[in-house]
Amino acid sequence: MLKIWSMKQQQQRDANAEGAAGTKKKKVTAAQLRVQKDLAELEGTLGKTMRTSFPDPNDILNFTLTIEPDEGMYKGGTFHFNFAINQNFPHDPPKVKCTQKIYHPNIDLEGNVCLNILREDWKPVLNLNAVIVGLQFLFLEPNASDPLNKEAAEDLRSNREGFKRNVRTSMGGGSVKGEHYERVIGR
Amino acid sequence: MVIMANGVEPSRKRWTYLDNFLNKPGPTTDPNWVPGEVTINGLETSKVLVIGAGGLGCEILKNLALSGFKDIHEADTIDVSNLNRQFLFREADVGKSKAECAAAFVEKRVKGVKITPYNGKIQDKDEDYYLQFQMIVCGLDSIEARRWINATLVGMVDMENPESLKPLIDGGTEGFKGQARVILPSMSSCIECQLDLHAPRAAVPLCTLATIPRQPAHCIEWAHIIAWEEHRKGEVLDTDDPEHITWLYQKASARAQEFNIPGVTYSMTQGVVKNIIPAIASTNAIIAASCCNEAFKIATGCNPWLNNYIQYSGDEGIFTYTFEMEQKEDCPVCGNLARNLTVDPNMTLQDFIDSLGDRAEAQLKKPTLRSEEKSLYSQFPASLREQTAPNLSKKLSELVVNGEEIAVSDPAFAISFKYKLIFSS
Amino acid sequence: MVERTTTPPPLQGPTAKEKKYDRQLRLWAASGQQALEDSKVLLLNSGPGVVGVEALKNLLLPGVGNFTIVDEAEVSEKDLGVNFFLEEESLGNSRAEETCKYLQELNPEVTGNAIKKSTEAFVEIPSILDHYTLIILIGPTKDSNVLEKISRYAQDHSIPLFYVHSVGFYSHFSVQLPDQFPVVDTHPDPATTQDLRLLNPWPELLIFMREKVGNLIFQSDHEHGHVPWLLLLLHYLNVWKATRRDGKPPKDYAEKKEFIAQVAEGARTNNPEGGEENFDEAKANVLKSLNPPSISNGLREVFDSEDCQNPTKDSANFWIIANAIHKFHTKNKGLLPLPGTLPDMKAQSSDYIKLQNIYKAKARSDIAEITSTIRQTEETLNRNPPIEEKEIEAFCKGAQYVKLIRGRPLRIAKSTEPIDWTDRAQALSQELETSKMLGQESLLPIYFAFLALDRHHDELSLLHQSRTNDPHPIKSLIPGARDISGATLPLPNFVESAHFYTPAVDVDKDPKPWPRFDTPEAQVTFENVVKEIERADGAELHNISALTGGMVAQEVIKVLTKQYVPVDNTCVFDGVASRAGVFNI
Repeated sequence: MLKIWSMKQQQQRDANAEGAAGTKKKKVTAAQLRVQKDLAELEGTLGKTMRTSFPDPNDILNFTLTIEPDEGMYKGGTFHFNFAINQNFPHDPPKVKCTQKIYHPNIDLEGNVCLNILREDWKPVLNLNAVIVGLQFLFLEPNASDPLNKEAAEDLRSNREGFKRNVRTSMGGGSVKGEHYERVIGR
Repeated sequence: MVIMANGVEPSRKRWTYLDNFLNKPGPTTDPNWVPGEVTINGLETSKVLVIGAGGLGCEILKNLALSGFKDIHEADTIDVSNLNRQFLFREADVGKSKAECAAAFVEKRVKGVKITPYNGKIQDKDEDYYLQFQMIVCGLDSIEARRWINATLVGMVDMENPESLKPLIDGGTEGFKGQARVILPSMSSCIECQLDLHAPRAAVPLCTLATIPRQPAHCIEWAHIIAWEEHRKGEVLDTDDPEHITWLYQKASARAQEFNIPGVTYSMTQGVVKNIIPAIASTNAIIAASCCNEAFKIATGCNPWLNNYIQYSGDEGIFTYTFEMEQKEDCPVCGNLARNLTVDPNMTLQDFIDSLGDRAEAQLKKPTLRSEEKSLYSQFPASLREQTAPNLSKKLSELVVNGEEIAVSDPAFAISFKYKLIFSS
Repeated sequence: MVERTTTPPPLQGPTAKEKKYDRQLRLWAASGQQALEDSKVLLLNSGPGVVGVEALKNLLLPGVGNFTIVDEAEVSEKDLGVNFFLEEESLGNSRAEETCKYLQELNPEVTGNAIKKSTEAFVEIPSILDHYTLIILIGPTKDSNVLEKISRYAQDHSIPLFYVHSVGFYSHFSVQLPDQFPVVDTHPDPATTQDLRLLNPWPELLIFMREKVGNLIFQSDHEHGHVPWLLLLLHYLNVWKATRRDGKPPKDYAEKKEFIAQVAEGARTNNPEGGEENFDEAKANVLKSLNPPSISNGLREVFDSEDCQNPTKDSANFWIIANAIHKFHTKNKGLLPLPGTLPDMKAQSSDYIKLQNIYKAKARSDIAEITSTIRQTEETLNRNPPIEEKEIEAFCKGAQYVKLIRGRPLRIAKSTEPIDWTDRAQALSQELETSKMLGQESLLPIYFAFLALDRHHDELSLLHQSRTNDPHPIKSLIPGARDISGATLPLPNFVESAHFYTPAVDVDKDPKPWPRFDTPEAQVTFENVVKEIERADGAELHNISALTGGMVAQEVIKVLTKQYVPVDNTCVFDGVASRAGVFNI
C-alpha cells in the first residue's frame, strides 16, 4: 500500500498541489458535468423556434423543451417535451416524452417518440444537441414508413392533403377519427 | 494482532500456508519489500470494503477472509428489485438481510474475521465513510453504481494525504466470460475512461415494436414499453412481481399470436424485461478470486499486482487477455482533478467569475458554474441564465460552503475544470 | 389464420427448480441441466486439498447430481486458514467427510459421499472408477504408477479425467478426454452463424423473391422500404448475373464492391432520411452473405476421418449422423443442411414470418433427407435402436460449427524415464517463439515445473520405498521443505528435474533453429518459476485455488453437458502476472 503512494508522489512530482484540504463535500457528478457541457453547446441550436425551461434551475437533469415550428405542417403549434436524464447519462440516453396528446405519425398518444437516437442508435458520443435537432426534424418531416401512430401514418401515406387538414384540426384541439387531441395553438 | 472477542488470540498456526508468502520474498517480489510481522500486521489491519452482495460479492467475502484480511465491510447496492428480494428473503430467514446472513456465515467459518454489513445505498455515504478503508473491491452488475464509486474515489485523492488514495478492484461476469481490473484512482485508467467497454444494451426501434414486430422479443418489449403504459398507467412496473410479469407475458403472447410470431415464453419475458444476464457460479469464482488475488498482492506487496485489466473468456476453450488500459486525457472523472482555490468568501459570484478569466489554465470566455446541488450560473440556455443571474450579486459564502467543489465549463474547452473553494479567513 | 378467441396459453409459472437455476438455464438449457444432474463426479483429493473442493462447490451449486470425495487426510489447523468448507469442530476428523458435509449444505438436491482413503488405496479397488462420469485428480500424486494407472483406466473406459495442481501463485490442469470427444452444440457467436444460401436459392425462396421484388420500381415508398434485404440481394444477383458473360455472381472483393454500388443505386433517396434502411442492410450483408459454401476446419476434420467415412455397427451416433451429412454435402455440391434460422431484418411482419417459414421448411426437408440416409445406414449395419430425431436435428443445425476433440493421454513424469515429446516438441518450441513475438513470456515453464514437481515426488517415493527401515524417513515431499536432518531439498536438483521434462529438438533431424528451452534466458525464467514454487512450500493460496476451481468447473460443465468447447488440453494460470496460457500437450 505504501508503495502505491510513493508511485503517486513520483507521478505528481511536477504538479504543484496548492492549498489545504477542506471538508469533503458532495461533488458534481459525471452526468451533471456532461449535461452542463451539452447545455452550453445548445446556443446555436435553440434559436427562435425552441426554448428550454427548468422547473428547478438547480436540477439540470430534468427540463422541458418547447418547439414552435415556423415552417412545415406543424407551423404555429407549441409542443412540449419532457427530458429526464439519469445519473447514468451519457451511457443511457435521455428519456424524452411529449407531454401533450398530439396527432403525429412518429409520436404515439402516450407521448412516446420514435427517434432512432433516443433508443437503438444512442451512443455516449451523441449529445443533447443531436436529440433536439432530431425532434425538430420530426415536425418538419413526419415519417410515415415506420410509425408509432399507425392511423396518422396511414393518412400521411395515402392522402397527404387530408393528413395536413387532420394536423390542423388536431392542433386546434379537435378530433380526428374519433380521437380527441390537445390544443397546441396559442389563442 | 487481532484479538478475538473472547480475548483469545487465534493461533497463527492456521495461517501456516499463507505465511509462506508473507515471511519470505519470491523472485518477482519488490526488492524493498519487508517480509514478516510488518506485512502481516499491514494485512490484518487493512479495512476493505466489498460492494455487492450477489454471487460475486459472496465469493469475494469468502476469499478475502481466507486471504488473511480481518476487517471486511460489505455494502449491498440497493435498487427496487434488490430490496424486494431481500424482503422475500426476510420471510424465510426471520428479519435478516442478505448481507447480514452472508456476514454471519463467513464469520462462523473463518474465525477471527470481522465482517460489518451495511444495508443502504452506497451513494448515501460520504467521503469520510470511504476514507476509513484501505481498498474497495466491487462485484456489481450496475454500471451506474460503478461509475459513482469510481468518481467518488478519484475525487477523494488528495496529495496532502497518502491515505486518500484507495485502490479500486472491480470484477464483472456474463455467462462464461468476465473481467477484473485494478484502478489506482487518478493514477491509472478509471471506470469512466473505460466506459465504452460496457456496450449499451441493444435496442429495437419503437416503431418496429409498434407496427412491424417480427421477433418474440419485439412482442415482449411492446408489452413492456407500450401496452403497460396504455393499460396500467401510473402503476410502477415491478419486474420481481410475478403478477406483473405474467400480465406482460400474456399481452406479449396475444400480440405474437396476432402476428403469427412463434416463441414467446414466460422465461423469455422475464429475460427481456429484467435484462437478465446469464450467470454461473464458476465464472463468479474465477472473477472474484482474480479480484481478491490482486487485493491480497496490493495489501501485502508480496508480489506485483495486475496492471491493470484481465479479460477471461471460457466459451471456446480458455482465453485470457491481460493488458494495460490507458488513462484518457479527456476523461471527465480522472482527466481533470479538482484544484484547491483559496477565495474570499465575501467576494461576489460575478467577481469570482471575472477572476477566473485571469487564471492561466482557464481563460474562460463564457463560463458556466455549478456545485453538486446548485446551478450557480449558467450562460446558456437563456432560461437558465435568467434563473441563475440573481446569484451573480450574491457572496460566495451564500452559495457554497467552505471546501465545496464546483465545476466550470466553457464552450471553448472540451473538458470542465473543477475547483475546491477554500475560504480565506 | 389463428383464432382470435384463443387466449394465450394458461400460465404455468416457472417451477421452483427453473427459478433456482434460471440464470444458468439461459446458457445450457434443460438438456444441459439434465446432463449435469445425471453426472457423478469423483474427486481424488490430496495436498492441502482446496482446489478440488472449490471446483466441486462450483459444480454443486448448478446441480451436478452426485459427488464423491476421496481423501486420506485428517483436518489439521492449517486447513482452517485455507479451506472454506471446514469448521473449528472439524479438527481431527476425516477431511473427506467434513468437506463433504459442508459442501452438501450448498444444494440439498445433490448427494455426496466421502471416503477416507488415499488415492493410491482407493484405486486398488477393482473397477471402482467405472462408477463415475468424470474424475478430478489433484496432484501431485505420490507415485507416478498410480497416476498412470488412473490415466489408462480413464482412457480405456472413456471417462474424462482432470489432473490439477495448485501451488502458491501458480496452478495447472490438464484435461484427458476420450479419444474422440465430439461437440455438436458449440454455441458459436450468433454474429458468425449465417448460412442463408443466397448463392444457392431454392424454388420456394425464388418464388417469394419474385412476388416481393418483381415490380420493385412501381412499388410505393412504403413497400419499397420494407422489402427484406435478403430478397433484394437475390434480385440484384439475378440482375448482375444477367449482365455477366460468365453468368456468375460477384466473386472477389472488387466485384463485390461493384455489386454493392449497384444495390445502392436501387435505393430511393427522395425521403427525409435520404436512403432506405433495408437497402443499407442489403449492402452491409454483401461481403458476409455472398460466399460460396465452405466448411469449417473442425467439420473438415470430422468428414476426413475414417469413422465418418466407414461407420460400423458400433460407431457412436455422432459418426452415423456425420456420415449422412457428409453424403449430403457431397451430393449437394458442398452444401450443408440449412440451419433454418433467419436473422432479424427490416421487413413487414407478415413478410418476415413468411420468409422465416420458407427457411424453416427447407431446413426440415434437408433434415428429412439426412434422416432417410441415416435410416438406410442403420438398416445396412443392422443398428438398433434408431437415432432420435432431435439428435439428428441438433447436428444438422450446428453442422458447420461441430468440433471434434481428440483426447490425448496425460503426460506423466516418471523419475525413471524422460517424457517422449516426439510429435509435440516442435509445437511447444513454437509456443515459445510466439510468446516472444507477442512480447509476453510463455507460461510453459510453469507446466514443466509442475511436471518436475511430480517427478520429484516420484523420486522421493521410490527412495522412501527403498529405505522403509530407514530411521529417518523423508518427512516432506515438497521441494524447498526441510527434511528431518534440517537440510533443505536442494534447488539445483529441482531445476535439473524440470529440464528433464522439457522437450528437446533433435538438431540433426530438424535443422530449423527452434527456440530452445535450455538457453540461459530460459534457464532464468525456469529458476524463477521454481523459486516461486519453492516459496510456497507446498501451500495452496485460497485465491489461486478458488480461481482454478472456477476454471476447472467451467471445463467440467462443458465436458458433462457436451456444450461449448472445452479446453484442449492443458491450462496454466500465473497468479503473479494474472494471466492464463493454454497448450495442446
